[in-house]
Amino acid sequence: MITAGLAQALLFGVANGCIYILLATGLNLIFGVMKLVNFAHGQLLMVGAFVAYEVTTVVGLNPYVSILVSMGSVALIGIVLEKFAFRKIRGTDKLNEIFISLGLIYVFQYSATLLWENSYTIRIPSPLAGLSVPLGEVSLSYDIILAMIIVVVILIGLVFLTKKTKIGLAMRATSQKSDASMLMGININRVYLFTFAVGAALAGAAGAIYGILFPFNPAIGALPTIKAFAIIILGGLGSIPGAVVGGLLYGVAENVTGYLTNSTWQNAVAFALLIAVLIIRPTGLFGEKGE
Amino acid sequence: MNKRILAAVAIVIIVVAAFVALWQLNVFTPAQTINIGVVAGMQTAEGQDINRAAQLAIDEINAAGGVYVADLGKNLNMKLVLADTGDETGDTAAPVTRIITDQGVDVLVGGATTGGTLKDQIPAIDNRVPYIITGASLNLVTRRGSLPSDNALYVDDAEGMSYMFHYCTTISDYSTTVAHFLADSVRPAIGSSRNLRLAVLYRDDGYGRGVRDVTTSIITADNLPIDIVANVSYATDATTFQSPLISVKDSKPDAVYVAGFIADTAEVIKEGINDVGLKSLYIGVEICEDPQYYDLLGETGNYQILESKIATQWQGDTWYLPKVGTYVEDYTAKFDGKVPGMLGADTYDAVYIYKNAVEQAGTLDKASVRDALEATDMPQSLLIMENQKITFSSGTNYHEILPKTFIEQMIWVSDSGKLLPYVVYPDSMPGISSFKQADFALPPDYEPGSP
Repeated sequence: MITAGLAQALLFGVANGCIYILLATGLNLIFGVMKLVNFAHGQLLMVGAFVAYEVTTVVGLNPYVSILVSMGSVALIGIVLEKFAFRKIRGTDKLNEIFISLGLIYVFQYSATLLWENSYTIRIPSPLAGLSVPLGEVSLSYDIILAMIIVVVILIGLVFLTKKTKIGLAMRATSQKSDASMLMGININRVYLFTFAVGAALAGAAGAIYGILFPFNPAIGALPTIKAFAIIILGGLGSIPGAVVGGLLYGVAENVTGYLTNSTWQNAVAFALLIAVLIIRPTGLFGEKGE
Repeated sequence: MNKRILAAVAIVIIVVAAFVALWQLNVFTPAQTINIGVVAGMQTAEGQDINRAAQLAIDEINAAGGVYVADLGKNLNMKLVLADTGDETGDTAAPVTRIITDQGVDVLVGGATTGGTLKDQIPAIDNRVPYIITGASLNLVTRRGSLPSDNALYVDDAEGMSYMFHYCTTISDYSTTVAHFLADSVRPAIGSSRNLRLAVLYRDDGYGRGVRDVTTSIITADNLPIDIVANVSYATDATTFQSPLISVKDSKPDAVYVAGFIADTAEVIKEGINDVGLKSLYIGVEICEDPQYYDLLGETGNYQILESKIATQWQGDTWYLPKVGTYVEDYTAKFDGKVPGMLGADTYDAVYIYKNAVEQAGTLDKASVRDALEATDMPQSLLIMENQKITFSSGTNYHEILPKTFIEQMIWVSDSGKLLPYVVYPDSMPGISSFKQADFALPPDYEPGSP
């Protein structure tokens, strides 16, 4: 029987899952097309949160409009990272890209610490704070509802991009066979640049939404990165539907565990879920053999 | 030839005389100072507050002529020596060891968290350095010798432990105030004849568990009409609290006692009211008596409760204790308008307590100063004391003080866009004629619990 408390925990889990979906989808896109492991992906979420915070509090923009600014800003950062960092070591030892991304973690985190000296967490102020929709004994805040809608819209846009546009076709082709794609005249550099920018933009959006719903500080990037990797493995490497389902499962597992037991166990149970799925299906929920 | 010899001798004499004169003026010999070791985690706002407060006290004392040390026959200035313990979660002992061994500090003041202090007091114990602990709400920091010998925190060094002094309120002090406030003010305001339903939401560490346990003990010991309907913990590194808040909501409490630090308590209240729909009365503890807490809460904190021991944002024409007013004004003037927090106030007093001890002892000898600290008998300063004096207990109460704490209700003033505190409990304090500023009122959208 689903009690009011459990229902509330499920709803919050779906809300958290939406943020994970965006983050994991971006990571999956980058890995799927570029075969690039970017451990600094969570830092892009952090940057997105801070950009949205500044734009909202300093410029006075509506926080939901600031999501677009975050996406654009973090996409630009993604372009710089791809062009001047990852592209330089493409084709070399895999360890090089791992170390670059690990180094970027510290660069981003300490840069943010210098820029935003707060020792406390901050939150992006929302005009909808405190307003909620009562659903029987459960309530759902307008911020959470709007966040879910925005994630759905972004995902629809992403599907349109990958399925209905030329660049999307190029991305899909490159993800399958990059050498053959080059031979067919696809500009791989441009595809990679665009892919990284889109992946980064998704992380930026995740960060802005995160910052509206939850408090954040320069150190928040680390754990979401690990979770995002766990989700894309859970869902299947390179699978966007897998990232969506994995993100939702993860968010729900975390929140329900925290409600039923002790919030200390939240992270542990979520990873236990990953282990359980991999034992049953090593390629992940939607993964294919050979990936 | 004779003229040359005479000239050379004259030059030598002049040089020697000048050297002796400069020696007398201590140009070559560094001026002796009293090194005050300040234990502060500079990555935290609490640590920065401790450091600033210590500096303020030291500068004031030096400006007034320093500390008279009888066995040296002169006044000495104080010098701040910082032991930066970072965020208080890592190795807090190493920086303290460094300032003891490398810089020979005469005393230690500070220490914000119980966890950090339990580590960083070890070098002080081992090296017999007086340590006036101004944070750490667990009284364990001066009672480790009384633990069972198989307890990991047990210290088998009574002599070393005798150098520890606790100038801070403890969990017992403020949980007593909170529990009695709930019984005396909140329960009548709700208007129900049943016991008040209290949920305790606490950090899953020694401090939080201590609040949980002590609150239960006090309610039982004082036979208060309060039922604890939920004890829910959250991870110390948690930044969101929806899951534990849902558990608390399930218990249908009349009030929620939050045993957390500044950021987590503020976030608990915001998520509880805005996200989970738990429109209850939330009580935060005195560690949140910091301007950042009020900023973080904003309008959500309207009508919520803060237990406190120093009202640094006192709303009134005259300060309840003149010394508090002076301290706040001097602190904000010296540190670019920053409002002092709670732990800094303790540290400020601690520096003056040490000064008094040195002057009473007449020496910097640490054992003698320790004895003088034990015999401290000073007028109260920034903290309200039961007997209006600063004294340290002896015997089983282990160098603790007798502080009084109180309850503030925060009110949102929309004109200024600020959350301001008003004292609502108790009615009076020893030696303070006008203390309570307003009657407690339930929040406008408050929803009581139910069995």
